[in-house]
Amino acid sequence: MDPETGELRKRTFVVTRFDPDKDQVPKTQTYEVACRPDWKVLDALNHIKDEIDPTLSHRWSCRMAVCGSCGMNVNGEPKLTCKTRLADYGDVVEVEPLANFPIVRDLVVEMDGFMEKFKAVKPWMIVAKEKAAEEGPNRQSPEELSVFKQFSMCINCMLCYAACPVVAKEPHFLGPAAIALGHRYNMDSRDEGAAERNEVFRGEGTVFHCSYANECSEVCPKNVDPASAVNQAKLNAVVDWATSFVVKRNG
Amino acid sequence: MRTLLLRLEPVIWLLFGAGILVGTILLPAYLLTVTLGAPLGLLPEGALSYERAYALATNPIGRVLLLALIALPLWKGAHHVRALLADWLGHGPDPVLGSLLYAIAAAGSLAGIYAVLTL
Amino acid sequence: MSRASHPQAMTPHRPGSTRTAPPQVPDTFWSQSRMRTYLLFDATGIPYMLVGLLVLRVAFALGRGPEAWAELLQEFSHPLYLAFHVLALVSVVFVGVRFFRLFPKAQPAKLGPVKPPPRPVLHAGLYVAWIGVTLALLVVLGGLWP
Repeated sequence: MDPETGELRKRTFVVTRFDPDKDQVPKTQTYEVACRPDWKVLDALNHIKDEIDPTLSHRWSCRMAVCGSCGMNVNGEPKLTCKTRLADYGDVVEVEPLANFPIVRDLVVEMDGFMEKFKAVKPWMIVAKEKAAEEGPNRQSPEELSVFKQFSMCINCMLCYAACPVVAKEPHFLGPAAIALGHRYNMDSRDEGAAERNEVFRGEGTVFHCSYANECSEVCPKNVDPASAVNQAKLNAVVDWATSFVVKRNG
Repeated sequence: MRTLLLRLEPVIWLLFGAGILVGTILLPAYLLTVTLGAPLGLLPEGALSYERAYALATNPIGRVLLLALIALPLWKGAHHVRALLADWLGHGPDPVLGSLLYAIAAAGSLAGIYAVLTL
Repeated sequence: MSRASHPQAMTPHRPGSTRTAPPQVPDTFWSQSRMRTYLLFDATGIPYMLVGLLVLRVAFALGRGPEAWAELLQEFSHPLYLAFHVLALVSVVFVGVRFFRLFPKAQPAKLGPVKPPPRPVLHAGLYVAWIGVTLALLVVLGGLWP
């Protein structure tokens, strides 16, 4: 069957609505949409906004799972709506803003808390002394790259935060993506900031809040496997803590 | 208490890790023999008679394994029950409940050391 | 449908100028099957703790002499004890199967000079250790050797 001309299927979308100027709490609104067979959830939302109700707010950009903007809870599970096929769903599709985030409007969530956590893990190259340009580039072997490459593939879509049972209960927790990013730098052969970041990992937002539910890795659309990073970071943080008694650190 | 717990987290996690790894590896054989095989009379005659059980437990390796079977499941259990309670009740009461659970595990481990040394 | 998440979950320290609605989680958040498995995994902490305390009793009984030992084994043959210990055995097997799957990826690819074996090898190694230790202990505790 040609996906363009294939039979339309009528679906009911139950969408969260929230207008900060009018509503005290979010409510839901239903839309009936005739969906094409090849549509993703995002296509239906765009159809609603373009054809039915221009007041609906949702974030999206690239439509090909690289920008990380269109994360929402679809039937209770965090999904990138641009790669979530409607064909896998029934006649009723519930679309909510990402769980565990304050809601700015409709399906748009507040990202600032997430950005604060990102900044806290110091996700940049920390070196004791910057190398002069004449000394040439910092070389890295494929083997050294393979140690952290997976953890650098994160697109900051925040699905892992919506899936994490600890994030739902403990606001201090750094959370999956931020820890994965910090761990990515700790494992980088060019970086010298592991001790600093391990302090953060043992601080208020500690990696030890994680109870390895593995939900972050289940929902990650880029196979970053944040649960792997967080639990590797635990062992690193313990080893770093133990060596801090043996080796005196300067500064 | 929250700060103290935060400082101890690496040690607790190590004990928990040892518990879930070593404890899980050791427990099936213990459960199958001492708690199920012997009471049901499924073991060969005299396998866990007092004399034999005592000799096994007072062997140096036996003492270490016996202590491991006491302390490690306690730490694994305390850590997981704490996580369960945090998921259920939130992290507000977590410092108190967590400390209480670890106190039980620590007391049990100390009692275990005493029991094993005086055997 | 949703219910409330932690009211401060993912909330920035400096709030923006727009009023936001507090974080929510879907109604099904805690009841979906993967989450139930995880909660069950954490719940095995209860039998683990009780088993630890019961092994403590075993150690003390051995210290007190033959009568205490016979009494304890007698007590363990009570149906409630037997049922609990079967439950404990099921818990341990459940923990092993889940944890040994999650363990290999929690090992850093490099810890100083140490490199762990490939993940499938580590996974298989854990099972070999689990079954090997269990068989060896069964031989000793079952009275076959020495």
